[in-house]
Formats: sequence, structure tokens, C-alpha cells
Amino acid sequence: MEAFSDEAAKLTAELAGSTPARIGVGRCGTRPLTRTALQLRMDHAAAVDSVYGVVAPELLKEMGLFTVETLSGSKERYLRRPDLGRRLTDEGAALIREKCIMKPQVQVVVSDGLSAAATCANIRDVYPALLDSLAAYGLQTGTPFFVKNGRVACMDHIGEILQPDVLVMLIGERPGLVTAQSMSAYMGYRPRFGTLESDRNVISNIHARGTQPVEAGAHIGTMLAAMLEQKRSGTSLVL
Amino acid sequence: MTTAASEEWITSLGIDLGTSTTKLIVSRLQIKRTANAFSMPKAAIAKRTLVYCSGIYTTPLLGDNELDYPAIADILEREYRLAGISFDEVKSGAVIITGETANKRNAAKVLHQLAERAGDFVVATAGADLEGVLAGKGSGAEARSLEIKGTVLSVDIGGGTANAAFFRQGACIATITFRIGGRLIMLDNEGTITAVAGSFLPWLKANGWDLHSGSRLKLEDYREITDRMAESLLSCLAGRGSGESDALLLVGERPAVLPAADELMLSGGVAALTEEAEPTRLEEAARFGDIGPLLAGSVMRAAAAGGFRQVAARQTVRATVIGAGMHSTEIAGATVHIPPGVLPLRNVPVVKAELPPAVMDDEGRLNEAVVQAMASAKALHSAEEQAPFALFLDGPGHCTYAGLQRLADSISRGWSAHFPQQAVAVVVCRTDMAKALGQALQRRVAERVRVVCIDQVGAEHGDYIDLGEPVGGTLVPVVVKTLAFSRPPGG
Repeated sequence: MEAFSDEAAKLTAELAGSTPARIGVGRCGTRPLTRTALQLRMDHAAAVDSVYGVVAPELLKEMGLFTVETLSGSKERYLRRPDLGRRLTDEGAALIREKCIMKPQVQVVVSDGLSAAATCANIRDVYPALLDSLAAYGLQTGTPFFVKNGRVACMDHIGEILQPDVLVMLIGERPGLVTAQSMSAYMGYRPRFGTLESDRNVISNIHARGTQPVEAGAHIGTMLAAMLEQKRSGTSLVL
Repeated sequence: MTTAASEEWITSLGIDLGTSTTKLIVSRLQIKRTANAFSMPKAAIAKRTLVYCSGIYTTPLLGDNELDYPAIADILEREYRLAGISFDEVKSGAVIITGETANKRNAAKVLHQLAERAGDFVVATAGADLEGVLAGKGSGAEARSLEIKGTVLSVDIGGGTANAAFFRQGACIATITFRIGGRLIMLDNEGTITAVAGSFLPWLKANGWDLHSGSRLKLEDYREITDRMAESLLSCLAGRGSGESDALLLVGERPAVLPAADELMLSGGVAALTEEAEPTRLEEAARFGDIGPLLAGSVMRAAAAGGFRQVAARQTVRATVIGAGMHSTEIAGATVHIPPGVLPLRNVPVVKAELPPAVMDDEGRLNEAVVQAMASAKALHSAEEQAPFALFLDGPGHCTYAGLQRLADSISRGWSAHFPQQAVAVVVCRTDMAKALGQALQRRVAERVRVVCIDQVGAEHGDYIDLGEPVGGTLVPVVVKTLAFSRPPGG
């Protein structure tokens, strides 16, 4: 590696400290150093694992969530056919009809989405903080459950069936090379088939080194309360 | 992607009651709350604009040891009229009392009266450390240190004190104050001394100058004194050993090690005089009736000789007042827990609990840290009878739900054990967790106590904190300050 001047080394360290991206990592000829290459492969493997991973049944039990599936069937089909991830199976639809409180004020849904690892890493912090926040606002929650292989818009199908006033979906985000454990919370007022993306609100980047999970949980409660009060969501919601 | 932003402008005032001069500025702060479609809302002061500078008044005194409050209140009223603002539109800012003026008999009383009168959320501040920090922000030294990504030494030399602050990449890392100023010796056109500040006599004596009112000195003698003052100041700041007697010039403590500075920025009334030619005759030197013009020349020469790379300040004579008016207020994180009608709270003493991850994960150590903070809070006296103290939580960076519950248990237990009578409980966190923690605490104390919890603010044990009325519902203006008059012992 070329020798850096003190000044350049200082500047590089400062720039590297300002971003989690892989900058200033050096090179050997035209190629990255072995340690950089290994780190990249490791992070990529973690990202792949988080997509193909599963949320342990014990964790779902601990959180008190039963499971329904989407039409995706397998992870491969889930990845190739986003539309299938937006519909529950007939069995799933029947199960929530049977088990859930109908027309709740707030419906909470958890899904693995594109990162089971995100659900595993954050659900213990976000979910109870959200329930506390809803209780602080005096809001009634319905029966929560877990959607395997869910896409965000399966909110609409669930909304059609259960008719909640507001619905929040805690779902694993598409993993990147910086973190594979990032979760999003998508929210909507009366989501139904045909709901526009601009009618949803989202808080993203929820993980230990991003948006703080417990604070996100508390703030989601505030947003849902605002949706109920204003009877709308998405870009027209005033916060 | 759409971005919803709400912004409000508030009027912020600064008043500096200095050793020799008093001045006032009016500024406008733009408080902005940004919530884009993907993330949690953020709050920040987006712009700070200076809209009015008063003239520079001689600080009104009654005799030697008292401030003339009615005359000061008159200045305030006249300047409000000239600036075209009313008392009720001023929503933030600070009055700072500095230098020798802070030692006057009625200083604390005048300071608080003036802050009350000046506006809704104008806070009273004093203390050499804070003065140095505010001057460095007002002069532009703080901003300069970010620009050069290095360390800038800000030295604000006024009538009674020289307040130095080191800024490294935007953060103040050390302060030190000297009893060095332009008005410590007063003289007339003939070179006869009309007054010497009592606090300055020991150093003069130790250096072989036995001066008193009526002593008559030549220009060269005065210059020798100011040269010696300037050398002491700058050699100490450069980290070189200074004479034994120079300890007599220190106000408060000297940090064990001072950082090395890349650049020096001078401000204050004396720095403003450095732009003029050095006086060559006594009448010129004595044109303000003090040694200010001579000291200015001496400081310039000592700075050059000491090898300092000097940069011009954006503001010189008004650096401190601009710092007080424009830079004393910060905004807490956008997600907070505030019951309606509780704020503002003024002058709440801060106790600190350090909560690194290792402490958060250990219930015993967590309890110990919280109980210890509460015990030290008992010795404090708050101006707010309802809110005896503010608990500052330093750490933990990331907090799990389980950790949050342990923390809330520990704090609420401490409150009922140590402060069963409090009506309002204040918690300030460094980590973004105020809404979750506030809700967790409120649930535990139910209706008995109203819990105020804010975050993304830093403070130290022994500081005082003022929390303003929320702007736009959730944006809480905060001033963290050191009050030299009532600083509790130890910590």
C-alpha cells in the first residue's frame, strides 16, 4: 500500500468514520485486499442468509403470534413473484377470520419479508414498546399474527378481511451489505384492495445502530393515534 | 419522495452585562422539524439570523459594588423600542453577566430580574467557562474549527477577564479564564491612575508594581505592564511554563493539560482595538480612560512572538452577546414525552447517571447508579419547586425493551423513595429514547407525577437546564448552562 501522509491518513479516517460504506480500504494492484474481500463475502452471505432464513417458532410463540402464509409457497417463488406475497392463502384468510377480533381499532401484523434476521433481531424491542405506546394512547388492539413470506401490500388483503381502522405491519427490509437486520413499520388508515402506496406511512431503518427500536415502537403508536384522529394516512397525514 | 417539514421562527435575545460595556442583540432562530416518508422526525435549529445589534453602553453602576438595575432596565426598554420588538415576542435567549460585573453585590439578583423581564424564555447565565464557550461560538471560532477540521483557540478579552476556549472540530474541549482585561487599570490623559481593580492587585504586587489611585506612570511603564500581561496569557495558552505569579491571574481552575491549537482567534473589546495602530502618546493610550488600547498592542505582539497562526474573528466586540443570543438555545429530539401545561421549567439542577451498556445489563449496578444520582440530587436547590432536579442519563447508545423496563423500574423506585413529594419529574437522555422511556415512566407513576422526558441533549453533573414551552407542539427549546452563583459543591 502506498504510504499516506499524516494529513491524508487523518482525512481518510475521518471520511471512513462518516459512512458505513467500504471506503479507503486500500488495494493490491487492481484488486481489493484479502481482508476486504473476505469481509464483503461475509456480509453478502449474511444478507443472503437473512433472506432465506426463518423466524424461529419459539420466538413467535414468545411474542404470542400465530402464523399464516401467503400464496408464495416457497422462498424462490416469493422472490420471483412479488404479487403472490400480497395475498394470503385461503387457509390463512380463514384462520384469521376465525381467530382475530373483527374491526379492531389497531391491527398489528408481523412479517419476515425480505429479512427474517431483522424480525428476529428487533421484534422483542419494537413490538412491546408499540403495545405500551398504544396503551398510553388508550387504543384497542386486535389479535396480532405473523405472515410468512409477506409483502407490504398484503396489508390490503388483511384489511379487507379484518376491517381494522389502522393497520401496522412490522416487516424485515431488503438486506444490504451494511446491515441485514433492518426492519420497517408500514402503516395505513383502513387499508383495502386498491390502497395507493402514497396512502401508507413508513418508518424504516429500525435496528440497533439505526432508528432506535424502542423509540420507533413508541413513535409508531403516536403515528397510529394521529391516523385515527385525522382519519387518513400517507402523504396527507399531518404529524 | 415527499418531505413534510414544519418550520417556525422564534425571536431570541442576547444581553451581555460586561465589566465595562453592556450590549444587546436580537436574532431569529428557525426551528425545523423534518419528517420524510421513511424516517422518524428530526428537529434542528436550521438557521440563525442576526437582526439587530444595540449600541454599546457603559455598564450602569451605582458606586463601586452595585449594578444600577433601573438604568439597565431602561436600556432594555429603549433597545426593544429601537429594534421594534415587544417583550412577549421574545421566546428564547440568554442574559449573561461577565467579567468583574459578575462579582458585584447584587449581580445574581439583577441577572434574574433582567432575564424574567426580557421575555418568555430568556435564561440567566453566568460563569467564566460558559462565557468562554459562548464567545467562541459568537466569534466564529467554533465554526472555524469545523472548517479547518482542527483546533481553534478562541480568546475573548474584555474589560475584566480574558476567556479562552479550545474548539476541536466543532466541540469545546477545554476552557480557561484569566484576570486580564482592558479595564483593570484606569488612567487619565496625564498618566495618573484613577483606579485599579482589587482582584488585579496581587499579581501586580508579585511582579513588583505597587500601584494605587494617584500613582503616576509613563507610557513605557504602562506598556511594560500590558506586555507582561499579554505574555503571561499567551505563554500559558501555548502550554509553555509561565511565571509563578501567573497563577494569580487564573479565575477558577486551570485544566491539567491544554490542547495544542492550530489557530488563534481573538475577540472581545480589546481585540476590536487591535485593528487600530498602537498608541505612541499617553493621550492616545488613555483615550478610553483605561489600558485597553495598550493591552491590544501587547497581545498582538505576544501572539506573533508566540508563533500562533492568527485568524480574524467574524465578530469581535459583540462575540459574547451574539453567542448568548444566537447559540445558547438547542432543540431536543423530535420524539419526546411532555404532558401538556408543564413547560416551561427554569433553572432545574442536573444530576448525572452514567449508563454504559455494562451497567444497563446489570440490574444491581443500574440501581446503584440511579440511587447515587438521586442521593446527590437531594442536596440541590431548584428554582422550580415542582421539579426538584433533572436526571441526565448518559448512555447507553442502544437500549433494549428489557433494559428500558429495568431502567424505568429503577428510576420510578428512586423517585418514590427520595422525592415522594415531587409533582414534575424531569429526565434528559443522550440516546434517542425519550418517548419510550417517558411512556414507561408515566405508566409506573400514573397520575401522581407528571413525567417530562426529552432526549438528544448533552449535560454535565452540576449544570442547570431550562426547558422552554414546546414550539409547534413537540419541539422543546433547551438551554444547558453553568450558573456560577449557585453551583453545587462537587459531583
